[in-house]
Amino acid sequence: MMQPVYISAASALSPQHSFGTDAPLQPVMSSDNGRLYVQDADYSKFINPVAIRRMSRMLKIGISTGMDCLRQSGIEKPDGIITGTGRGSMRDMEIFLGDMLRLKEEALNPTYFIQSTYNSINGWLALQTKCTGYNQTYVHRGHSLEMALLDAQLLLNETTDKQHYLVGSFDEFTDEYFVVKNKIGYWKQPTPHSLDLYKHSDTPGSIGGEGSAFFMVTNEKENALFSIAALQMLQDYTPAEVDATIARILQENKILLRDVDVILCGMSGDSRFDSIYKPLFSNTTVHTTVGAFKHLCGEYDTSTGFAMWLAAQAFKTQQVPDAVIQKKGINPSVKTVLIVNHYILNSASVILLKANS
Amino acid sequence: MEDLKVTLKQQIIESLNLQGMKPEDIDDNAPLFGEGLGLDSIDSLEMMVLLERNYGIKIEDAREGRKVLQSVASMAEYIQQHRKI
Repeated sequence: MMQPVYISAASALSPQHSFGTDAPLQPVMSSDNGRLYVQDADYSKFINPVAIRRMSRMLKIGISTGMDCLRQSGIEKPDGIITGTGRGSMRDMEIFLGDMLRLKEEALNPTYFIQSTYNSINGWLALQTKCTGYNQTYVHRGHSLEMALLDAQLLLNETTDKQHYLVGSFDEFTDEYFVVKNKIGYWKQPTPHSLDLYKHSDTPGSIGGEGSAFFMVTNEKENALFSIAALQMLQDYTPAEVDATIARILQENKILLRDVDVILCGMSGDSRFDSIYKPLFSNTTVHTTVGAFKHLCGEYDTSTGFAMWLAAQAFKTQQVPDAVIQKKGINPSVKTVLIVNHYILNSASVILLKANS
Repeated sequence: MEDLKVTLKQQIIESLNLQGMKPEDIDDNAPLFGEGLGLDSIDSLEMMVLLERNYGIKIEDAREGRKVLQSVASMAEYIQQHRKI
């Protein structure tokens, strides 16, 4: 059985106030056009001024989140950098492909091409930290961040040395992406206000989002915020399989459902997919707080990162923000958090997190 | 020639996203790489694209490219002699 790994720092740039603030999610940000965009930060604090001029917004967001996570952890040079992204630097790719058509594949700017590659954020983070260690980017749609976390878990399970991996995710939302995915029914029609998303759970579609989240993953228990006790991915699942997976994970960790203090559900308000969350509401007792997060960050491939950041905040403050809570439980502290998330058609994940004791 | 230099400086600023810089901040004869503007190898590729898109000039010999991209003055002189657009 896999040994748990620990998280010693968490940083997120999201559509909410989540970066460099002592009052996360205050005020709660919302939108009524079906899209939630990242709240920009002062990226020049985290990126070399000579390099920043050429960077796209996604690069600035991803690199700043990674650098902030390093700063919080006190680790200047990690043993490796592992990321997950479903879309990479979408905007740069759109510009590059648009130019290819417009200019008939001649006189193309190299910058857009270089930056549109999925691993450019990893590359920049490695250059900035002078990290020549393991460097990997997973592009596995709704399982991208989960694959990065699993990779770090495997690496840390193979060594007895104390090691630290910077693990993160990033995905951006573009107008072009909205138009294309709208044609295949990704977004709700008519568009609801983001905070009313779950009032429209009887219709298909969701709202779009974006974000970046980074975590310092280590086998060093001291000073850690929490541990990843279990991580399971499901592909082409049935709701019953999700249920069975949750039951198995809890049993393996000798935890009763009533002892789970917080469950964070990736409900997207889409009538086609949200049925997997129903048992989490009906089976939980008065003890457990059940929360949701996609009305705050939107639907995107690596939204699990936002949920993990929320969990980190809950462990730190021992509170769950009101904006997250869908069903309030009576457990007085936050020692165990279960994240259950799905992405669009066929990928889901279950992650069990435990406070460091 | 002077108008061309100003236009070229504006195009360099836009193409390389030299934020906060104006054409008058760039000396005609100052080296573009290293000490001068501190541009790098990717910028040199961007400037080759700039010459091709705006003036129809394609430089295929790297040694010639190095000479042309020395300064705004050397670029303007080369453009005047070889422009196709």
